[in-house]
Amino acid sequence: MRIIVTTAVVLINFILQTTLFQYLAIQGIFPNTALIIVVSYALLRGSKEGCIAAVCSGLLFDIFFGTAVGFYALLFLGISYFTGKSQKNFYRENYLLPILFCTVAAGIYESIHFITELLLRKDGDILFFFVKILLPTIVYTAVVTVPIYRILFGLNEWLELKEKYKYRLF
Amino acid sequence: MIQFWEEHKKKIIAVIAIAITVVALFLGGKNLNASALESVIGFVVTPFQDLTTGINSWVESTAESAQDKNKLLEENAHLKEEVAKLQDENKRLDQYERENESLSALLKISQKYPEYKSTGTRIIAKSPGVWYDTFTINKGTGDEVSANMILIAPGGVVGKILESGINYSKAQSILDSRSAVPAMSLRTGDLGVVKGDYSLMDDGLCKMEYIDGEAQIAVGDEIVTSQLSEVYPQGLSIGKVTKIETDTNGLTKYAVIEPFVDLKHLDTLLVIDKNTMEENP
Repeated sequence: MRIIVTTAVVLINFILQTTLFQYLAIQGIFPNTALIIVVSYALLRGSKEGCIAAVCSGLLFDIFFGTAVGFYALLFLGISYFTGKSQKNFYRENYLLPILFCTVAAGIYESIHFITELLLRKDGDILFFFVKILLPTIVYTAVVTVPIYRILFGLNEWLELKEKYKYRLF
Repeated sequence: MIQFWEEHKKKIIAVIAIAITVVALFLGGKNLNASALESVIGFVVTPFQDLTTGINSWVESTAESAQDKNKLLEENAHLKEEVAKLQDENKRLDQYERENESLSALLKISQKYPEYKSTGTRIIAKSPGVWYDTFTINKGTGDEVSANMILIAPGGVVGKILESGINYSKAQSILDSRSAVPAMSLRTGDLGVVKGDYSLMDDGLCKMEYIDGEAQIAVGDEIVTSQLSEVYPQGLSIGKVTKIETDTNGLTKYAVIEPFVDLKHLDTLLVIDKNTMEENP
């Protein structure tokens, strides 16, 4: 059940992100919802399941938009692994931490893109990057994280309730 | 079996990781058609993307048509005028073509602008994020579309196809910072390479680099693809120069190019196959 729901979430997000969400972009910038989902998943379920979700959505991006397989998968994997490591240290009902984690993750994601661009093509304009890409992305990510985290949190609660009855855990 | 896995877990994972890296290294950068797995995933995902984009454009068009009927009527009248004008011009050009044919037959010059076989297609998904500009189109190897074919829109080049699955293809526009198109100025014949740049991408502009410092290129010149490319056929128009600057090394110049095609609002495209020329009727 959990596997089916997770696959559906990753696929639906991919389809929406590549088609519908393009129209919601402000000045060409829209937060990477796949990244938000992966980070939220790692926060809710720990690093192992977060990593699986990360590799699946990363590979989808690689297959459809990358030139070499593995770039997005590795990037998502790394981010969700380190997020998932801190899962046990806080209450997941709190909204502040997912927002914090998602903005930091988005910042790291864009910075790694910028650094690869800089290293491979030596044409980095650092001021342009900070003002036009990094700051708007971080602000926008913080706003979009709230509804997505709420949906995933609700889904997770529902699934945990079902699993509890099924396996009689408690 | 499980015991073996527990004992050698780390070694097995390391071997798998190295194997994936080696495969990626050898396959990376080559423009091949999609593998079986990629095709399967594409087969599942692309119909939904097609559907979502379709619903999207339907909503947009119905909203628009309800909004301004008068505007459409006006536009229709305007377009009719234009059609009449173009028909007239077409007749004139037909005459020119016949004249040209007879004259070139006299001079024994071969046809310079061949017509390529083309397929119409639609963009169904765009890559998210600000860094790259790749998109998915709804034709694949099933429609005789394959890697390294060229995408054009009325006006000029859009990009090329990186990879084709059965019912979808992955394409890269000329605004993508990984794309490079050998180009030249039509007026002066100066050579250069048209590259994407992420800081210009949002405005729909790109950059022409490695122009000789002595070149006589000027603002307003038309830029076309040059004969140096293996992928792009010669003489397709790209855009016009809007700004020229000298590089920091002082030896070469670069120009900012405004493509003729509005690459930010594309919908339908043509795929052309440069290996097959259409038979003249």
